[in-house]
Amino acid sequence: MNQFLQQLVNGLSIGSIYALMAVGYSLVYSIMNFSNFAHGSVIMLGAYFGFFALTWLGLPFGLAFFVAACMTAGVAVVLERLAYKPLRDRRAPFLYFIITAMGASIFIDNSVIATIGPTPKTFPPALLPSFLQSGAIKIGSLDVGRIDMAMFVITVICLVALILFIDFTRLGKAIQATAYNMKASALMGINPGFVIILVFAIGGALAGVAGVLYGMKYQVFPQMSAITLKSFIAAVFGGLGSLPGALLGSLLLALIETFVSGYISTQLRDIFAFCILIAMLVIRPSGIMGKTTEDKA
Amino acid sequence: MRALLCGILVVALALVGCAGAQKSNTIKIGWFGPETGDSALWGQAELNTVKMMADDYNAQGGIQVGNKKYMLEIVPYDDKGDSTEAVNVAKRLVSQDKVVACVGAQGSGEAIPVAPIMDDAKVPLVASTATNPKVTVTEAGQVHPYVFRACFTDPYQGKVAAYFAYQRLNKRNAAIFMTIDDPYSTGLAQYFKENFEQLGGKVVAEVSYTSGEKDFRAPLTKIKAANPDVIFIPAYYNDVALAAKQARDLGINQLLLGGDGWPSDNLISLAGKALEGCLFINHLDFDSAEAKPMRDEYKAKFGKNAELNSYMVHDALMMVIDAIQRAKATDGVSIQKALETCDIQGITGHIKIGPEHNPVGKTAWLIKIVGPDMKFQEKFSAE
Repeated sequence: MNQFLQQLVNGLSIGSIYALMAVGYSLVYSIMNFSNFAHGSVIMLGAYFGFFALTWLGLPFGLAFFVAACMTAGVAVVLERLAYKPLRDRRAPFLYFIITAMGASIFIDNSVIATIGPTPKTFPPALLPSFLQSGAIKIGSLDVGRIDMAMFVITVICLVALILFIDFTRLGKAIQATAYNMKASALMGINPGFVIILVFAIGGALAGVAGVLYGMKYQVFPQMSAITLKSFIAAVFGGLGSLPGALLGSLLLALIETFVSGYISTQLRDIFAFCILIAMLVIRPSGIMGKTTEDKA
Repeated sequence: MRALLCGILVVALALVGCAGAQKSNTIKIGWFGPETGDSALWGQAELNTVKMMADDYNAQGGIQVGNKKYMLEIVPYDDKGDSTEAVNVAKRLVSQDKVVACVGAQGSGEAIPVAPIMDDAKVPLVASTATNPKVTVTEAGQVHPYVFRACFTDPYQGKVAAYFAYQRLNKRNAAIFMTIDDPYSTGLAQYFKENFEQLGGKVVAEVSYTSGEKDFRAPLTKIKAANPDVIFIPAYYNDVALAAKQARDLGINQLLLGGDGWPSDNLISLAGKALEGCLFINHLDFDSAEAKPMRDEYKAKFGKNAELNSYMVHDALMMVIDAIQRAKATDGVSIQKALETCDIQGITGHIKIGPEHNPVGKTAWLIKIVGPDMKFQEKFSAE
């Protein structure tokens, strides 16, 4: 029973990282209707920004975090302006967006490898605040890593803030409207260009937070963009375009992965994850909470 | 006009064909290893070292072979720590670059598939830190004629680890955490298990992960549930650091024991306090007097500390040069014959090549992590 509870905690903890990544992903999908494969590279850049803000610039941790999030928001917006806007203006088919995203991802990853180098870096524990140090907190008979606890809390705060923003502010409503129908919202006076920039900025900031958290828990290395594959699965699983869906999908995916890894075999973990993705795409392509959009012409 | 063009083309092709010929007073020695990837630190350390050694020899006019002096040329390739890439670059080295010998192949995962290529091409390879027995001896028990190594092998290392865990540290219940797709890791785990159980210990959990994975919480929780008194982690330093940190975060505070995949300048900075007091087996004591000249030269030239691989590839290259000088020849077949009777004192210890092309009875060093340092504890020599 104890092992079960511990694995449950592990799963929720891993799920919170996936959730942060998947939500940024889903947000962009809801507006733009394409999978931003460059999201993973932005996450990786977030980790590096956080690392350098902390070590080179010597900023205090909270400020470094904030700086990383701002910079990744900036990178995401620049990416949108340089890579996606020209395609949108030319009304290019969605396939081109995806290919451009992949190209951007490869470019960013290899730029980092070529300049900073491929050796992984760790956040020096001396520069991290005490609630993020290594070691476990005992809750009953369970051990929860201090970092895992902090990450979970930060994720919850970010997601709650995001949901409040989307549901209760005018800008949030503008985003919802544009996601529902870009042309109609434009007719209603909402500037789609502005909304797109806003969405990319929010997505980028979330990616930055996810990157720094991931970098703190594990390491900072250029191949980090590979983890977005998991967040992509989580987002599809929960329903692309739906934020609660992304959250649910991430938690479920992480729990399934952890239990397969813990009780069956670590090697089968990815097989299960991908089988679930395939099954979902076959049975219910819109995901658990996705909108079943049919052309009601 | 057409005849003239054809003529020029033929001459050009002929010249291109000639370009591959070796300059008569240079010896080409190939090196391949991970310049990029998880083990990049080690690969780059090896490359720096062989280049440094070649420069040193060439500054003195080259190496003396018989009554002629030859300059050394190192032909390096990045195998990215990937076995397929290693096979590709090995083929290039023997067929296109026509090297007379190779050193490097630091990972057993890369050295094992390359072995038959070296045999076919009759170009000897001296591996630096590839410790799996299959590097020099096939599954069927045949020795690869053209493959040698400068390090001890995993059966020996596993025996030493089991001996230290059981006799010295008095541990009776061990858990093993290994990389499932790395023959080095699974091999070393297997040899540790066999020897530990033979001594009377019990392996209470054998858990694995796939390389490239960063989150080990689920498998580590399984280890925690088995309640061992020592955890053997035969993996590379990067994964070890991650695993140690995550284990401590899960409240797993048992002693961690490791093999020669641990020693690295970055190990302690990556792991922080998670590896305090833990032990591992190394091929040498970094602070020894024999290693000092090379350590100082490397630090002066490159600004950072030499890695384990630097010392090992140094000895591997020494073995090749010694073989060339004793054979008084620079072709692969003669070098191979001389390597079979290699008996030198390297900076990592006495290297006497035995019938299976491995150094016989090479000393293993037990090192403990104390604060930011790696402190020598004890050494173990068989024979």
